[in-house]
Amino acid sequence: MTPVTETLPATGAAAAQAGGAAPQSAAVTVEIFEVGGGLAAEVRAASGASPMACYQCTKCSSGCPVAARADLMPHELVRLVQTGQRGSALGNRFIWECTSCHTCVTRCPQQVDIPAMNDALREIGRREGVAAKGTAVPVFNEIFLETVRKRGRIHEISLMASFKLRTRRLLDDMDKAPAMFSKGKLPLLGERVGEKAKREQIFRKAVAAAAAQAGDAKGTSGQQGGSR
Amino acid sequence: MSYVFYPGCSLDGTAKDFYSSTSAVAAKVGLEMPEMEGWICCGSTAAHNSDPLLADALPAFNLQKAAGKTVAVACASCYSRLKMANHHIASDPVVRQRVAAATGAHYDGATPVLHLLEILGRQMEADVEAAVVRPLSGLKVACYYGCLLSRPPEVTQFDDAEDPTLMDRLLETAGATVVDWPHKTECCGASFSITDPEIILDLSDRILEMARLAGADCIATACPLCELNLDMRQKDIAAKRGHRYDLPVFYFTQLLGIAMGAAPKDLSLGSLFVDPHPLLRSKGLDPDKQPRVAEVTR
Repeated sequence: MTPVTETLPATGAAAAQAGGAAPQSAAVTVEIFEVGGGLAAEVRAASGASPMACYQCTKCSSGCPVAARADLMPHELVRLVQTGQRGSALGNRFIWECTSCHTCVTRCPQQVDIPAMNDALREIGRREGVAAKGTAVPVFNEIFLETVRKRGRIHEISLMASFKLRTRRLLDDMDKAPAMFSKGKLPLLGERVGEKAKREQIFRKAVAAAAAQAGDAKGTSGQQGGSR
Repeated sequence: MSYVFYPGCSLDGTAKDFYSSTSAVAAKVGLEMPEMEGWICCGSTAAHNSDPLLADALPAFNLQKAAGKTVAVACASCYSRLKMANHHIASDPVVRQRVAAATGAHYDGATPVLHLLEILGRQMEADVEAAVVRPLSGLKVACYYGCLLSRPPEVTQFDDAEDPTLMDRLLETAGATVVDWPHKTECCGASFSITDPEIILDLSDRILEMARLAGADCIATACPLCELNLDMRQKDIAAKRGHRYDLPVFYFTQLLGIAMGAAPKDLSLGSLFVDPHPLLRSKGLDPDKQPRVAEVTR
């Protein structure tokens, strides 16, 4: 494992230890080994987030808009990732109720990017088929991205119709539709844009990169991950 | 500065009133921003929830089309995704290389992206002030920014992350009284409107309640999802939580448009769910009636 070398300015004590005669600029070099393997390393490789930096101050949970309703609070989830409790970290409802509002990371003293960590956990959980039961978010995301691939832009009526059919929630919010139509907020025909071949290429490359990442994660589990 | 406008999918549908009021305000202040040719969806929440490369490559595909111009954005979600992609691409060579392979073109992450609030509030303040013909006197507005404009601050560099004031200052310039309130950047629940509306009811209820407690007559928003959640869900919040607000929720461009005397058809106030006309009439701001001469020559 490669240590991260940081040079810290000398404190009074360090300067005194150095013999007292050392000038104020004397510095102490500390080698910090980044610890954490398994799930924490996978999260870091996939998203750049560093859950190992968390020291459980709970500031994230204080500001989280969904902490009160979810089955876990964000600081608890980070701890599960730190300790590699894979089943709970991937199978909870919280990661699917996180609104990606970025309040946690904005206030975190250690800049632990919990929204990015959650993106990675969603992706890993979905790939391994252990995502929490009862969440409709993965189905919605899949339909959304399929629409982008085919049409280039989101057409809200088609998106909602496909989502309702797939999740059998046919009657949810149907009272909204007439008002939306009459207010002209739901055009019947969506725009389609050109360059479909280029879009197809972007989606193909993304699938290939995800597969490579999944292979890497299996092969190098326990080591620090590289770039996103 | 030369701009190209990236509307995003919502402005073609549920937020077409945001598009028309944006265009009306842009015309009044002389802001030229032709729509980007051949733009595609930024990928929104679905992309970053599912695939990191897609989340950077879809915005990059669009940003490459700006050809040296600054990309002007109205939707807070598009703004966030375009800026996040720029941040990843500019700071990480591996991401840059993967995005180039996916989109088939090199992109360095340097295309500037600005929200309308930044353009109008920082670069065209004098033009906005000069265009006001009908000050929004007596209208008490709670300016609601939501999550994605100001967070994370290292990426968006929009304004103060906890207490942004860009919209407050713009609406004060338009003559409104802005209220001091603590929920400017609380989350409304965003895209859970379709997948889990209960989350929206919880979160939007708190925001509406705080706006009312702060003494606001109405709320101004800068995001299609925020507007729809706070406006359309008031009926459900009344039915399911027993809290009735009847607080009109505007796009900030609609309020600026009223102050600038824009044509009622461009303001599209009829497309809001909570009818704002009784409030506007009570303040002498009925957009269907021409402002008095004294107001025009102010």
